[in-house]
Amino acid sequence: MMAKTTLIPFWTIFMREVRRFLKVIFQTIATPLISSALYLLIFGVSIGHEIDVGKGISYLAFLIPGLVMMTVLRNSLENAVGSIVTSKFVGELEDLRMVPLSTTQIVWGNGLAAILRGLLVGVVTLGVGYLFFWFVNEQVFPLKYPLFLLVFLLIGGLAFAHLGLAICMLATNFEQVSAINTFLLLPLIYLGGVFFSLDQLHPFWQVLSQFNPLLYMVNGVRYGMLGVSDVDVGFALSVTVITWIICYALAVWSLKKGSYKRW
Amino acid sequence: MDAAPLFIDHLTKYYGTLCAVNNVTFTINKGEIFGLLGPNGAGKTSIISTITTLEEPTEGSVSIFGHDVTKEPQLAKMLTGCVPQELVHHGFFSLEEILGIHSGYYGLYHNQERIDYLIDKLALNRHKHKKVKELSGGLKRRMMIAKALVHSPKLLLLDEPTAGVDIELRSLLWDFVRQLQQEGVSILLTTHYLEEAEALCDRVLFLDEGKTKLIGEPKHLIRELTEREVVMVLKQPVAPISHPHLVNQTDHQLVFRFAATKSMGELISELPLETRGIQDFIIREGKLEDAFQTIMRGQHHDG
Repeated sequence: MMAKTTLIPFWTIFMREVRRFLKVIFQTIATPLISSALYLLIFGVSIGHEIDVGKGISYLAFLIPGLVMMTVLRNSLENAVGSIVTSKFVGELEDLRMVPLSTTQIVWGNGLAAILRGLLVGVVTLGVGYLFFWFVNEQVFPLKYPLFLLVFLLIGGLAFAHLGLAICMLATNFEQVSAINTFLLLPLIYLGGVFFSLDQLHPFWQVLSQFNPLLYMVNGVRYGMLGVSDVDVGFALSVTVITWIICYALAVWSLKKGSYKRW
Repeated sequence: MDAAPLFIDHLTKYYGTLCAVNNVTFTINKGEIFGLLGPNGAGKTSIISTITTLEEPTEGSVSIFGHDVTKEPQLAKMLTGCVPQELVHHGFFSLEEILGIHSGYYGLYHNQERIDYLIDKLALNRHKHKKVKELSGGLKRRMMIAKALVHSPKLLLLDEPTAGVDIELRSLLWDFVRQLQQEGVSILLTTHYLEEAEALCDRVLFLDEGKTKLIGEPKHLIRELTEREVVMVLKQPVAPISHPHLVNQTDHQLVFRFAATKSMGELISELPLETRGIQDFIIREGKLEDAFQTIMRGQHHDG
């Protein structure tokens, strides 16, 4: 009975989302493949020699973990956003309201599928990073603390998946979704320590950056790969977990209070 | 399990200051087809939306087999299937995949037998591998009906199921609705087509501006609210007759219009005619549509 009412509906949503992105697997994989290759080529290889991030590591090594985390976060978010936005446009979300699904089933089904896509694309990005690192340094790119790495990727990705769900549930039109993306998420991502070390910033931005949860997620991943971080790793983990809990609560709340009506 | 399949209890729904549903109460009995009728904007879809929890009631409550839809939504939804008025498009999946996914939402993992049955019943076999966007309007409508029935609900909500549907499909749907009724499914049907309500519904509710105008069985409503037209065909012309129900007289015809409650014998006895002089009767019964017109004009209180 437990399986019938709890697990099967959850599994159905999860698999529906997975099948949805598998149907567009080429775009899913190819887009981040090209963009991360370009980032690595331009920033990591071409102008990377000019940049000193300290800590005894090359800019290319510094950049790879940041790119992986950025890719995971963006894809997790985009999967959740894509799913809800299209469902709102075609009226499918009204269907979701009529069937006996609980908010927990929707939040987890949607969230885990999103993080699965995030991780899949993250692995591809890491693979590209590996290749670049090999060609430039003729060394294998290190993965010092894989468990740490996985924890940061999973919790960070899940947080962004839940955030994407919440944004779309609360938005009353598509413009609101893209506005949040442009005015909130993009600055957070680009000022989250993906492309530069905290030490390189003006003191004003250093202080401001410390309020950006992405800084902690990106540095957690960098620690998992390289064993270096701009911030204390324990603190980074706490911030990441707290961010996830807030996003989860927001997603649950949005499903209860948000609109299922079609756009 | 004696609770009614659907009990709408003093339901009121406001959108801002607009009152879409105003203190509506009705019950659907087991195995009944109940019609919710009324002009556009009467509040039919708002009632359906509160049943499916898309909207919350402002006041009052809705319960399905005794389960309040706001307090026990999961239990209520397990027993309900709904075919919404607007078509739902699913971008990525084929018709058969959609039915499989929809079954999963109800906790049914192995539901192929039921899916095959519905595909067959609704004549969707040739189209089951097509995506929704490749289906015509009528096929989409049929797919939505199949979707609403994957979990064999005990209560089915049909929000204008035959809007924009051709005659052939309409009769297929009517037959199917009757079959579902025989299987014990209770059905709430909203429709613009009064002919449809007359053909299918055991009881109907007329809704206007969110308020209940009248509830009753179609044949009773027709009897009480409409006039029948009786044409008496005469063998030979007769002298001009004066009678309160006579609306027209020609050489070979007398046309009467009167309430269906009055008997034919009564009429004949009131006429200065020899019964042998009557060749034939043509009787045109009132339609639900006429009853509807009477109600909407607010005349039913007078007569």
